[in-house]
Amino acid sequence: MSPSFSEATRARFERMLARYPDKEAAILPTLHLAQREFGHLSGEAIDYVATLLGFTPARIEGVATFYTMYNRKPVGKYHLQVCRNLSCSLMGAEHLIEHMSRKLGIKPGGTTADGTFTLSTVECLGSCGTAPVMQVNDDYHEDLTEESIDAILDGLRQEHG
Amino acid sequence: MPNFTINGISVDVPQGTTILEAAKTAGIEIPHYCYHPKLSVAGNCRMCLVEVEKFPKLQIACNTIVTDGMAVKTDSEKVKQAVTGVLEFLLIHHPIDCPICDQAGECGLQIYYMKYGLHKSRYAVEDKVHKKKVQDIGGQIILDAERCILCSRCIRFLQEVTGTGELEFFQRGDHSEISIFPGRPLDNRYTGNLADICPVGALTSKDFRFKCRVWLLRGARSICPGCANGCNVEAHFKEEILYRLKPRQNDEVNKTWMCDPGRLEYKKANEARLLTPVNRENGIPKAAPWEAALSSVAFRLWEMVEKHGPGSVAVIASPQFSNEELFLARKLADEVLRTPHLGFSLRTVGDGFADDFLIKADKNPNTRGAKLLGISEEKFDDIVQNVADGKIRALLVFGNGIADLSDAETGRLLANVPFVVQIATNEGAVSRAAHAILPSASFVERGGTFTNHAGRVQRFWMGFPPRGKARSAIEIITGLANRLGAGWKSGGEAQVFRAIAQSEAPFAGMSYESLGELGQTAGGKG
Amino acid sequence: MELVLTTHFGNDRYRHADTYEQLGGYAAMRKAFSMPKEEIVAEVRKANLRGRGGAGFPAGVKWGFLPKDLSRPRVLVINADEGEPGTFKDRLIMSRGPHLMIEGIVITSYALTIHNGYVYIRGEFVREAEIVQEAIDEAYAKGYLGKNILGSGYDLEVTVHRGAGAYICGEETSLLNSLEGKRGWPRVKPPFPASVGAFGLPTIVNNVETIADIPWIVTHGGEKFASLGVEKDGGTRLVCVSGPVKKPGVYELPVGISLRSILYEHAGGMQDGKALKAVIPGGSSTPVIRADEIDVGYDIDSMQKIGTMAGSGGVIVIPEGTCMVRALSVLMNFYAHESCGQCTPCREGCGWLARVLRRIENGEGREGDVELILNVCDNMMGRTICPLADAAVMPAQSFIWKFREEFDRHVRDKKCPYGNTF
Repeated sequence: MSPSFSEATRARFERMLARYPDKEAAILPTLHLAQREFGHLSGEAIDYVATLLGFTPARIEGVATFYTMYNRKPVGKYHLQVCRNLSCSLMGAEHLIEHMSRKLGIKPGGTTADGTFTLSTVECLGSCGTAPVMQVNDDYHEDLTEESIDAILDGLRQEHG
Repeated sequence: MPNFTINGISVDVPQGTTILEAAKTAGIEIPHYCYHPKLSVAGNCRMCLVEVEKFPKLQIACNTIVTDGMAVKTDSEKVKQAVTGVLEFLLIHHPIDCPICDQAGECGLQIYYMKYGLHKSRYAVEDKVHKKKVQDIGGQIILDAERCILCSRCIRFLQEVTGTGELEFFQRGDHSEISIFPGRPLDNRYTGNLADICPVGALTSKDFRFKCRVWLLRGARSICPGCANGCNVEAHFKEEILYRLKPRQNDEVNKTWMCDPGRLEYKKANEARLLTPVNRENGIPKAAPWEAALSSVAFRLWEMVEKHGPGSVAVIASPQFSNEELFLARKLADEVLRTPHLGFSLRTVGDGFADDFLIKADKNPNTRGAKLLGISEEKFDDIVQNVADGKIRALLVFGNGIADLSDAETGRLLANVPFVVQIATNEGAVSRAAHAILPSASFVERGGTFTNHAGRVQRFWMGFPPRGKARSAIEIITGLANRLGAGWKSGGEAQVFRAIAQSEAPFAGMSYESLGELGQTAGGKG
Repeated sequence: MELVLTTHFGNDRYRHADTYEQLGGYAAMRKAFSMPKEEIVAEVRKANLRGRGGAGFPAGVKWGFLPKDLSRPRVLVINADEGEPGTFKDRLIMSRGPHLMIEGIVITSYALTIHNGYVYIRGEFVREAEIVQEAIDEAYAKGYLGKNILGSGYDLEVTVHRGAGAYICGEETSLLNSLEGKRGWPRVKPPFPASVGAFGLPTIVNNVETIADIPWIVTHGGEKFASLGVEKDGGTRLVCVSGPVKKPGVYELPVGISLRSILYEHAGGMQDGKALKAVIPGGSSTPVIRADEIDVGYDIDSMQKIGTMAGSGGVIVIPEGTCMVRALSVLMNFYAHESCGQCTPCREGCGWLARVLRRIENGEGREGDVELILNVCDNMMGRTICPLADAAVMPAQSFIWKFREEFDRHVRDKKCPYGNTF
């Protein structure tokens, strides 16, 4: 079935649209809404956004693939995005990524078999003073250590049930 | 008018001219890929970097407007280094598959590499980023993403010219590629232009794929015979075979573009050709020498006029023929056969599609010309009625079809006429019923002029002599006229056009010289 | 020491309009509304406030580039796309004192007769965007945004626009394209944003910190602000210190303070008795300096004199024991990942540099590779639409110029002397 916005999202979409002088400017925010609603931006989701805003799907796809936060493929319930830029690397990020890989049994880019976690390395998250840092979905986790990561992952797993 | 110097040469250019365009007037080539005179400036390929006095950094010539007193250098060490550097960057991921690339021979990478590169590769082959090759993206186009230099000309064309936007950049950095959205192929009637504007072998023509190496082709300036728009084209051929049509710049008519159906018009010069004169004896078509064919046709026409009067003969002209040919056809009807029955039939061909850009519903290149020469479209119905009533004893038909009649309808109609003679390039319904066939040259085998929908008279040139035993229609009509005692001087299209200019008001004052390469608009209403 | 921005950042309620106002906030706005517009601009010029986003262009001068006629509406865009590695100050302002930014927006917009503002916040800052949106909502509720502000008849709409993951959008024209819903490709200039910017309208783009300084300048005067810094670079700066120092973080310090003092007094010196090897002083794109070069004033001109930049205020501290090849390799991976792909030299050059560095670090370097890197750098520098290529070249060149021996050794010994790790 082709995706479409829920009523609540549709209302947010309309409110958002009113803030901009044209529909083109609404492309990024609409993709954010679509990703939140559909989990990831499938071809159908891109098509839906294209129709909603009146652009070709190619135009939308061009935008969606330019920005790293738009997931064109499904990701786990928790998207673990570990910074690998210099400040984080100087503070041990490489070792933490290896630790997480071992613990989750997946390489960066992979998703655990149960679909709970996707592990990604990302570039600077803009929180270098509290390196190493990772972003889990919307939230930053800072001053990471192997212990704090274990606690975070265990906590998320429990939450997931 | 700003005056500036480029490599020490002083040049005056109109206000608002870019360095890149201004350089052309001084005869200096500035290499470029993304710049295209008919598209917006992207400024991203960085090939056109030049040194501008007082600017610390090199500037792109495509987006820098000439100002008075500006001093530009395109030949300094700094510029050469920059250009070579950009070229090296463009080639690091390139697959260098020239031996199997149709663009080879007219490829911007090859041309500039020979001029500005000639460097050894410093890039590790195993580091090349691989992308999808041989993708059918619809229309007339095959995409090879590995060969693409990401200049964005194709994307801008689809945004700015067709407005259809099928191609976009996906991904970013050195993973960037152009592509269609899956399942949404090119959907416009101008896709062939993408292969033309692509400076490399990324977008190539499906139709031309692996047909011929381009350096074996020769070209003739021509006019697309596919519709009344009269797009200026270059016809590319090898020996007697046409391989493709490419648009030729004429800003008044087609800028640098042409439509997809037009691109396939070249096939008419190759396929289903009538290549030898034919006489039908007892229902069986037999090849005949020209002399015999012309003499027997002339005799039959004379015979009908003698026996049944001039009104028993009719001529159906065709707007597929040139002004020169139509002029002689008219003279033949008016002055030699003296028949009142001269008209022309319009063929719509295909879906009769038209848009507000280049494609016209009238699929004939010279309807306006026929009208300006006083050949009437209205009389055509009258002729058909006379034929149906059995009043026409001899019928001279130009072209391979009569209006949009089917084969069966044509056969039924022509069965009413004791003698049908056809002058045409291609086989068709008429040739299957004609008693005599006089094969005429294709659009690339003769010269002449067409008058487009807007009254623009434009020349087309002969690329090679008529194939087989075909002859130019001028020769054929003159041959018939003289065998009927007309005493016309034989001559080429230039002489005929001179006569048109003398006697036909809309063409007054015109000459092949004044028409030049781009044509001239005829006076009066057609 | 005089603080312009961070005085109340320790107060958790400061991000709310009520507390902000109790502590003196929005007084500058009221004052500004009573001033002639030209006078506000004049004060900002006098302040020698230089853009805090990295380029350091004087803010007052930038404002002056707007076309004089008011026939086309103008737009103010706040660049909150903080992404320069080593920089994390705008995040602090947005999360601890968003009203400073909002008040700055109101004053600036009023002074420049702008009725539409957009705050472009990098996509990853989800929570910061929420905080800023809440603060904007509060400002609307108080009548400091929206129609007829303070009964002056002046209207201003402000919209939060979130990015979606692209470093390049910190470049102002790329940001404008992104705001317009396009791929974040920097624009060919001319035209410049001041004449053709967001939605084709005359546009001013200012960094968060730059705009947050405006209320203080209006309150205390441009001269006072200028006097906090050095001759041509006024005020305080939010200096971000990261890497293995005892107290990493953001410090508000007078412009011109010595880099040594930043590292050893404010950031507490090196962690665990490590020795200092090198410093990237103004975000990852600025040329690296050696440990013996830190006796320099942290202002735009002094840093320039020693061949580097104060940039966006991101000081990355590199300790002894760090492999400079690996460090540079990490940075080049970043630039290759973030190049928008538009201009040939950057698109192809960044990836090339990253690949050659990776092989050198992995002990697979070839003779001539270091020269190759320098030569590729020459072919990138100054050859592109935006400064991203330069931003990749500056660390690459400086790392090699200052630590050449380490690069040569990797190639010669066919291995990383630091064990191929940090």
